[in-house]
Amino acid sequence: MTRGDVGIIVFLVLATALSAVTMGMAQPFTEAAATIKGPGGTTTVDLSVDGTIVIEGRTGPVVFEVRDHALYCIDSSCPDRLCVRMGLVRPGRPVVCAPAGVSAMLNTSLERGGLDAVSR
Amino acid sequence: MPSLADTSSPSRRVATVASLLALACVLGMVEALLVPPLPVPGLKLGVANVAVVVALTVLDPRDALAISIGRVLIVGIATGTLFGPVGAMSAAGAIASWALMSLLAGAGPRFSPIGWSVAGAAASVTAQLIAASATIGSPSPLMLMPVSLGLSLPSGIVVGLLSRLLISRISREVTPAIA
Repeated sequence: MTRGDVGIIVFLVLATALSAVTMGMAQPFTEAAATIKGPGGTTTVDLSVDGTIVIEGRTGPVVFEVRDHALYCIDSSCPDRLCVRMGLVRPGRPVVCAPAGVSAMLNTSLERGGLDAVSR
Repeated sequence: MPSLADTSSPSRRVATVASLLALACVLGMVEALLVPPLPVPGLKLGVANVAVVVALTVLDPRDALAISIGRVLIVGIATGTLFGPVGAMSAAGAIASWALMSLLAGAGPRFSPIGWSVAGAAASVTAQLIAASATIGSPSPLMLMPVSLGLSLPSGIVVGLLSRLLISRISREVTPAIA
């Protein structure tokens, strides 16, 4: 391994850390609602009401469940079922089903964010 | 390690490209069918990149691109994902990975196959997430960038180590006249 290789590794570690910080700062979440996008359009889900949502994707239906103020992907028609393995939609970590063209993420807040104090 | 393009006969070059393409396809199929998918859409260990890294060392970037694109096409047809979002993600990842690895390979001895592989793995996952966002029509896959970049580091190192092992073996076979 050369010094250049070490430089690449250090750069990648810094890029990973920077992207993690950026993603964490950029999206304050309400966790009260979620948005599911699919080929047929966008669906807003109220996380305070338990229930099942079926989204028709390119490869077939993708099924989500609202349970205890959380959104889970519980079934999919795609071959790998990565979305089902991801399961819970967490703040900053959307659940994506690439073959079906479906993604689910928690909504951002327009009320939160901004400065909490004024510096002089 | 010097390129062997000008010392190998055309028939030996074709045979080497074909062998590496076959290797890339087998590794790609094994990864697609047997290795449990990682919980990040489109993210793969990229073991098939071993063949591309070897090609950049013992052949030239043009042959490496042919191997990379050929692998995407063949594995895509075999798994039925070529003309869908997964095929687009695979192609984007393969091209981005090849481009950055070729750039680093052309920079001389400053970087080794390990560095090429790490950079190529990072470029691949980045391109795959961008392609996923484009096909879905939502930027949400980009939020998986931190985890994807983090996983690309160990996978790139593993691919680099495997490549270096294979290069040490294949060089003697490709050019028996060179000690």
